[in-house]
Amino acid sequence: MSHKIRTIFPCLVLVVGAMAMVWAVSFGTLPRADFAFNNGDEIKTVDPAKATGVPEGRVINALFEGLLRQHPLERAPDEHGIVPLAPATRGVAESYSISDDGRIYTFHLRSTARWSNGEPVTAEDFAWSWRRMLHPETGSQYAYQLYYVVGAEAYNMSQVKVGDQVEVELEDRENPQQLFPRGTILRGILTGMDDAAENFSVEVKEEKAGQIDWQGDGQLRHFTKVTAEKPGEGERCYHLLPDFDSHVGIRVTAGDTLVVTLNNRTPYFTDLVAFYPLYPVNRKCVEQHGSPNWTKPGNIVSNGPFLLEFRRIRDRVRMIRNPDYWNAGIVDLQVVDALAIKSQTTSLNMYINGQLDWTTTVPNPIIPDLRDRPDFKTAPMLTTYFYRLNVERPPLDNVLVRQALNMAIDKKKIVEKVTKAGQLPARSFVPPGLPGFKSALCGEFNPERARQLLAEAGFENGRGLPRIEILYNTSEGHRDIAQVIQQDWKKNLRINVILRNLEWGTFLDTLNETDYAVARSGWIGDYADANTFLDMFVTGGTNNETNWGNSEYDQLIKKAGKEKDSERRLEILHQAERILMDEMPIIPIYFYRSINMVQDRVEGFSANIQDIHPLHLLRVRPHGE
Amino acid sequence: MARFLVKRLGWMLLTIWVVYTVSFFLMRAVPGGPFSSEKKIPPAIKRNIEARYKMDRPIHEQYFSHLWSTICLDLGPSYKLEDYTVNEVIAQGFPVSASLGIFAMFFALTVGLTSGVISAVHRNSPYDLSFMLMATIGIAVPNFVLASIAVVLFVFVWPIFPAAGWGQLSQIILPAICLGAPFAGYIARLTRTGMLEVLGMDYIRTAYAKGLGTRQVVVRHALRGALLPVVSYLGPATAGILSGSLVLERIFALPGMGSHFIEAATQRDYTLAMGMVLIYTVLLFVMNTLVDLSYSIIDPRVEVEG
Repeated sequence: MSHKIRTIFPCLVLVVGAMAMVWAVSFGTLPRADFAFNNGDEIKTVDPAKATGVPEGRVINALFEGLLRQHPLERAPDEHGIVPLAPATRGVAESYSISDDGRIYTFHLRSTARWSNGEPVTAEDFAWSWRRMLHPETGSQYAYQLYYVVGAEAYNMSQVKVGDQVEVELEDRENPQQLFPRGTILRGILTGMDDAAENFSVEVKEEKAGQIDWQGDGQLRHFTKVTAEKPGEGERCYHLLPDFDSHVGIRVTAGDTLVVTLNNRTPYFTDLVAFYPLYPVNRKCVEQHGSPNWTKPGNIVSNGPFLLEFRRIRDRVRMIRNPDYWNAGIVDLQVVDALAIKSQTTSLNMYINGQLDWTTTVPNPIIPDLRDRPDFKTAPMLTTYFYRLNVERPPLDNVLVRQALNMAIDKKKIVEKVTKAGQLPARSFVPPGLPGFKSALCGEFNPERARQLLAEAGFENGRGLPRIEILYNTSEGHRDIAQVIQQDWKKNLRINVILRNLEWGTFLDTLNETDYAVARSGWIGDYADANTFLDMFVTGGTNNETNWGNSEYDQLIKKAGKEKDSERRLEILHQAERILMDEMPIIPIYFYRSINMVQDRVEGFSANIQDIHPLHLLRVRPHGE
Repeated sequence: MARFLVKRLGWMLLTIWVVYTVSFFLMRAVPGGPFSSEKKIPPAIKRNIEARYKMDRPIHEQYFSHLWSTICLDLGPSYKLEDYTVNEVIAQGFPVSASLGIFAMFFALTVGLTSGVISAVHRNSPYDLSFMLMATIGIAVPNFVLASIAVVLFVFVWPIFPAAGWGQLSQIILPAICLGAPFAGYIARLTRTGMLEVLGMDYIRTAYAKGLGTRQVVVRHALRGALLPVVSYLGPATAGILSGSLVLERIFALPGMGSHFIEAATQRDYTLAMGMVLIYTVLLFVMNTLVDLSYSIIDPRVEVEG
């Protein structure tokens, strides 16, 4: 090592150090937004068909607009403090009509709705977006929201049988990784296939200007899927799906008219249409850039009240007002930041410090100190906190034991001492606040009666009862509640209870395998109808996870799905909940409340049952006034 | 020296491969997966999603196909941040963590070296005592505790800094100080010890005897010798700053690699977690190699072995 290097080295280090500092300082300053709120988490995607969470919903509702929209009602709460959501109002659709049998919805689109590239939003955009959402390769988690539409489920699951009209996509995409654009699509009649539907033959019909003559002559061709385990001799293709146009009940009858045919009467279908997964995406944009590149700022084409300015991962989504939005007159905010702050304490600090105008989370322990502030806004929510009981694991296989466990929990104590934000103790699974629905109640807190029930079940004074384990996902809040219940069961029933916490991913797996006795759960209503709560406990339902099944219950849920009269339908659902509350595969604990803190300078923020606060309805006074 | 670098590179590639393989199988051995959620997805839809990410293939096939794309420096799409590839996430997160790290290191070095030298030169003076007390506190108090105290003091009691966030220079100062504080303490103590040792040496006495002033003796002759332990500490310090920023990024809502790392692990975002593990491995390896190199440059007694 020469002496020269040794002399130069310290200078070199200093220079490199100085350059590093200059580079570190050089991150430009960002102009402040008119309105900044904490969205709670980084959004997974802005693609409506692929998003699933609440934070995603806030952003997608600002960037896109569906046929209909959910709006909060600005009105005084009822005796439970509940403000229901208004029925879905018109978005891109100017009007809609429902056929007498409740199965055919005709949407008429407004002519003033525009994409951000200037093109009009057409009925074809919706048909294409929904088709994309249902396409198996899109892998949309919310695809089942469209299963109410005729043929949608079969398309999503690629269910075909010989003799069906089918569509086959050849392996000629420019980029196989991209979901769209797709390759050449042939349509015809399926004439034969092997068991795995990997090798098959189709009588391909000729297509003229999008029209096809199904009766006409066709050409018999053989195909083999690119993913086939036993590839055959046929032409290579990606997908074999039911023919969309002839099987799925989504039709464009004119440029501005979309006709949707449902399997059954579905009174809450308008709510589903107003929910973000059914919002449209721009075909040209998706086909040109492919997925997920079309969602990048600069590429994205949207139709909502705001435009995407930029995204910084796990920092913020910045949106600016869309001057070409058809209803731009009501939009007040010019620049909006949706921050992705996960720490509740940090979020509150930034709110108190004035960096945030709206925070959607507050740390539990300090809620009592904040509750009385005028900017602390809370309202009952369409969400239930409950415990699942594994009905196959003794002693929980005995319905009397399950009822006793429920009656031995002092739920009022839990909401007053632990959750503290004014939550309502729950005696039903469906939360209050759904118009016309009367909840069926389970037994109330009564230790005496609980002991009797336990004695009837053959466990007098808790004798002979094995230990029961409560499983919850790691969180202080869940632990505190589980501890109260542990004490209640010990004190009132002399049952030994142990607590076990698991990290989220492991917890979900354990729940899925029903490898538990008692497990903490929560459920947020997807739409404002009791069905979103009750249909999850049908026998073998994917979200059932309790091993519980009851054929009468299944019948009632099915019957409710077909009932025309809305009053009678709600009565049937009430009967179903009656069974659920008698059999108790679950113990409802309390109903959540939404918690928001909103600065005084923000106007138009109203608490409501689904905790929906569209950004385009908010108004602010400038900073410092 | 070239041989040394080539050998180091070889070791690095081997280490990366081992880390890659172990992480790949460990991640998949943990229960839960990227697509499990409280609201369960119908099995058919889940199959569609898994097919999209090729998770329906046998595990050895996934291993080799992902290993190959990793070698081609394509870490694949993030499973949870669906609009981004892992490369894009790193490209956005790295500058944030790097600038936080640079500030923290700058703070640690300037404060640590200065106070260390002053303490050694004015040994047992009130300066020495107070500096060493502060250094001990800095080392003993975990950075998240320090961060909470700093937020109370400098955000609420004396509001000179914003509470958190990223985008303005003022937002990075508080987290950088909290991150750098323990290292400043260590460096101060190391510098003081090294300095005291050197100041007792013959050549320093010779320098004084030549008639040089204290400043010249300290800066030109003593400091270089006293720096050696500090330089060798920079390797572990870099590692500490990298891992220390995991917590601080959460507290100060900084969108750096630390927050991505934590989220990727808890959300079972296999590709992103893998990307983070690999980039940390590479960073640590590179930093350690640089430290070893500079060590041989500063101290003539050290030869890097090829």
